[in-house]
Amino acid sequence: MKRLGKATAAAGVAATLALTGCSGQSLEGDGDKAQGTITLKVAFWGDMGLDKLKAQYEAAHPNIKIVLNSGEYNAQHEDLQKKIVAGTGAPDISAIDEGFIVQFRSQADKFVNFMDKGGAEYESKYLPWKWQESMSTDGKQIGLGTDVGGLAMCYRSDLFKAAGLPTDRDAVSKLWNNWDDFINVGKQYTAKTHKKFVDSGTNMFNPVLAQQPVGFFDTGEKLQMDGGPKVAFDVSMKALDAGISANLASFQPNWDQGFKKDQFAVLACPAWMLGHIQDTAPDQAGKWDIASIPGGGGNWGGSWWTIPAQGKNIDAAADFVKWMVAPEQQIEVFKTVGNLPSQPALYKDPAVLDYKKEFMSNAPTGQIFAATAENLKPQYLGKKAGPTRVAVENVITQVQEGKLKSADAWAVAVKEAEKAANS
Amino acid sequence: MTTFVNRAPQDTRGSWKTYLGLTAVLLVSAFPVYWMFVIASSTDAAVSQIPPSVIPGSQLFKNLNEVFTMQEVYFTASLINSVIVSTVITAATLFFCSLAGFAFAKLRFPARNALMFVVILTLTVPNQLGVVALYILMGKLGWNGTLLAVIAPGLVSAFGVFYMRQFIAHAVPDELVESARIDGAMTMRVYFSIVLPAIRPALAVLGLLTFVMAWNDFQWPLITLNGTDFPTSMVALSDLASGNYVIYRRVLAGAFAATVPLIILLLIGGRQIVRGIMEGAVKN
Amino acid sequence: MSLTQLRPSPQHAAPPPKQSRAKLLLYRFDTKATPYVFIAPFFVLFAIFGLFPIVYNAVVSLRTWKLDEPDKDGWAGFANFTKLLTDSDFWNALYNTFGIFVLSTVPQLLLALIIANLLNRKLRGQSFWRIGILLPYLTPVVASTLVFSVFFARDNGMANWFLSLVGYGQEQPLDWRAEKWSSWIAIATMVNWKWIGYNALLYLSAMQTIPKDVYEAAAVDGAGPWRQLWRITVPMIQPVVVFTVILSTIGGLQLFNEPMMFDQNPQSATGGSAHQFQTIAQLIYKVGWKDLNLGYAAAMSWALFLIILIVAGINAQLTKRIGGDR
Repeated sequence: MKRLGKATAAAGVAATLALTGCSGQSLEGDGDKAQGTITLKVAFWGDMGLDKLKAQYEAAHPNIKIVLNSGEYNAQHEDLQKKIVAGTGAPDISAIDEGFIVQFRSQADKFVNFMDKGGAEYESKYLPWKWQESMSTDGKQIGLGTDVGGLAMCYRSDLFKAAGLPTDRDAVSKLWNNWDDFINVGKQYTAKTHKKFVDSGTNMFNPVLAQQPVGFFDTGEKLQMDGGPKVAFDVSMKALDAGISANLASFQPNWDQGFKKDQFAVLACPAWMLGHIQDTAPDQAGKWDIASIPGGGGNWGGSWWTIPAQGKNIDAAADFVKWMVAPEQQIEVFKTVGNLPSQPALYKDPAVLDYKKEFMSNAPTGQIFAATAENLKPQYLGKKAGPTRVAVENVITQVQEGKLKSADAWAVAVKEAEKAANS
Repeated sequence: MTTFVNRAPQDTRGSWKTYLGLTAVLLVSAFPVYWMFVIASSTDAAVSQIPPSVIPGSQLFKNLNEVFTMQEVYFTASLINSVIVSTVITAATLFFCSLAGFAFAKLRFPARNALMFVVILTLTVPNQLGVVALYILMGKLGWNGTLLAVIAPGLVSAFGVFYMRQFIAHAVPDELVESARIDGAMTMRVYFSIVLPAIRPALAVLGLLTFVMAWNDFQWPLITLNGTDFPTSMVALSDLASGNYVIYRRVLAGAFAATVPLIILLLIGGRQIVRGIMEGAVKN
Repeated sequence: MSLTQLRPSPQHAAPPPKQSRAKLLLYRFDTKATPYVFIAPFFVLFAIFGLFPIVYNAVVSLRTWKLDEPDKDGWAGFANFTKLLTDSDFWNALYNTFGIFVLSTVPQLLLALIIANLLNRKLRGQSFWRIGILLPYLTPVVASTLVFSVFFARDNGMANWFLSLVGYGQEQPLDWRAEKWSSWIAIATMVNWKWIGYNALLYLSAMQTIPKDVYEAAAVDGAGPWRQLWRITVPMIQPVVVFTVILSTIGGLQLFNEPMMFDQNPQSATGGSAHQFQTIAQLIYKVGWKDLNLGYAAAMSWALFLIILIVAGINAQLTKRIGGDR
């Protein structure tokens, strides 16, 4: 009932606003809070474990009100981009993911430069590549890192058991030292169960690419298809030819259904994926476990907190961001949703090292992911890495749809990638 | 033998073929809506069942309860906001568009045809990029994040002007307008005493279509109202559907809740529309 | 403009004699100015909220404006427009847009006519039928696209289940998104479903204004119900038919939501793995917000604007010609 009261009041206020033409900003200023109250809008996607932190921060800072706005991953980034173009309306603080950081760091003057806010002292705390990725070419730091996505391989121990495969996480890790081994295990699994092993060819391509020293672009922004992309593309084609892929597009309804219907038995897992598995298939607690990924460490995703320069309270926002990336809060977030911090000092912290994830059969996720994050080779992300990735993924999908033979696919992929890189 | 039809269709009784055809149409029209209700009242598993589940489950109120109590979604408020937005837009559209439609159909003035052409032109502007310009404009006015930003651009519609012009041109006899003018009536009085009564069926149709369009609009409201506490029902619905993982029963329960007001409106107004159309026909 | 068969209204009759001078002035003001007062609200509101974005777009289309290369901003002349001519993505999207447009508009309007004709009878439960056909139009897009994406799913989809009942696709279920023909059909189905009832209602409201004596006179020719529809009803409601043709041309060529939500990976806006169902509106969105090339996207929207204008004009003329010959 209390909820209804608040909601109705909000509608009434909305009606008043519509009639008087006030802006949303002034309403919050007129609220029942003490004068000088500052409202900070924080935009992000999914669950970043902020609910408890918000209450804690507000209690300690009575003049600050935090408004959390969680939306869909792509939509939130796009909304931020539109509002930066418009020059108004951006949130006070916005999370930006690795997939979009290049796009926004090339608009660095639209963001608060953390170097002007005492950010220099943070450089030594972060993984060096994490610090570099959010920095513009002229040395402006647009964000402070939250998490990184060190890679591991999640697997369904119950399905492995049914297929006569080992289920212990160390034994599973030993099954695949490289991706060829991995595909062979997949063939065994599929032969035995007549079910598919991996979710899609693109989810083979992406982790393998993340493991390469050079991705789509070298540091001179030149497209390098014959290096890392070729290796990753070949692995994905091998997997498709072996017939072990369920061909489900990630993060789409069919994929979500695929979890529930046991349509695949393994999933390349950055730390942040754990929360997603848990949300999608809550009744599969204890059926998932984590092994190491073939081919060594790599990074997939991970985010930064940024402050759009158009905001009115950038100092208060900077204080809040610094508080959020402080060790206590980072550990709190890790425990709540599993996001792995990007400050290596925390990888030695007992709170991280001793943590076991109940949902994943009590796997020591802290240890596993900390190890992958420390070992990985950083990779330069080119300006057009985003559209190029989509273009190559589409070619893999064409093979999955049977429109393109795997033998002919590479030439098409190169052509499409060049087009995307020059768009 | 040739069938002779000497009656207007509206005086002809529907044959069994008519009913058969209409039943088929109704089944196809209603099935997705019905299925939405089925999922809205079921558990998560129902959505991908084969053969498809067609019997409503028992969870409707549980799912609705989840929708109305979701944090940061403000579903109840959003329904009220949508009523405000749609009502204001509909009233304004009916008034402004019938005025303009009357002028274009029955009044003579220089540049009339050129201006009518401009009205139609405005319909053809693609809006994938216009939103940024509109957002900048609303920012200058200080309206972003308020219902005013959603209402203001919807107050008139080129569709409405065009529809009203077409209807008035045929439904209001020139002689009637002329004779009123000879009696010395001002144009405004002609509008209120002759035009308005004659176009009631068209007003009912346009009103309904406009209300529904305003209610279901989401692209622009999503941009200007994102992250505020004053969503319209479609913005709240996108919030429901915006997780990394879509919970169908919850989204469709929300969609169901957002559609019910329209169905009620249709049930109340539908009889008026049908009656209005018949009256309009008799007048001719 | 001659989109309709509007008869020219007679010039206002001369003012009645023996009016006072004040009244005469008032009268002259009324005839000269009132029409403009009546259309003013539309044009004023349009100028504020409609014109500004168009002009803004026109300016942007002449500039180089890439969000990820701010240092290259500047005037581009017509470079963005000349780039269009050789852009295979643009021509592919144009082809897709027209394909889906034909598959959706033609059945949509024909079925709407037939349904309106069925509804234009003495029926039991008249309101029930008339209300029923509007259900698709009432359904929020978020809900209907979710329902249709489940309906056309490759695995466990309802459409494939129906196909399997008639013995098709037992081995390998049809992947609706994979090919041009199947994806076009699926998208056109969604469009048709949503708009048939809406157009039927517009037709019905026009049919009701046809004087009954027109039909009585035509009975002498021995017209059956089918011929009655095509020879009497359709020509009589021709202005509304032209109107709906223009409307669905505009809507069809701007098609965005359906292909967008139909995509496996909606946010990429690529319209399928090989752009098999990418429409122009979708391409504009991709170029603007994914490739971050706002100048080029603006040029594309202007090109789309011109294409719609031409096609709507041609369609309106065609419809009139066909209607007039009958």
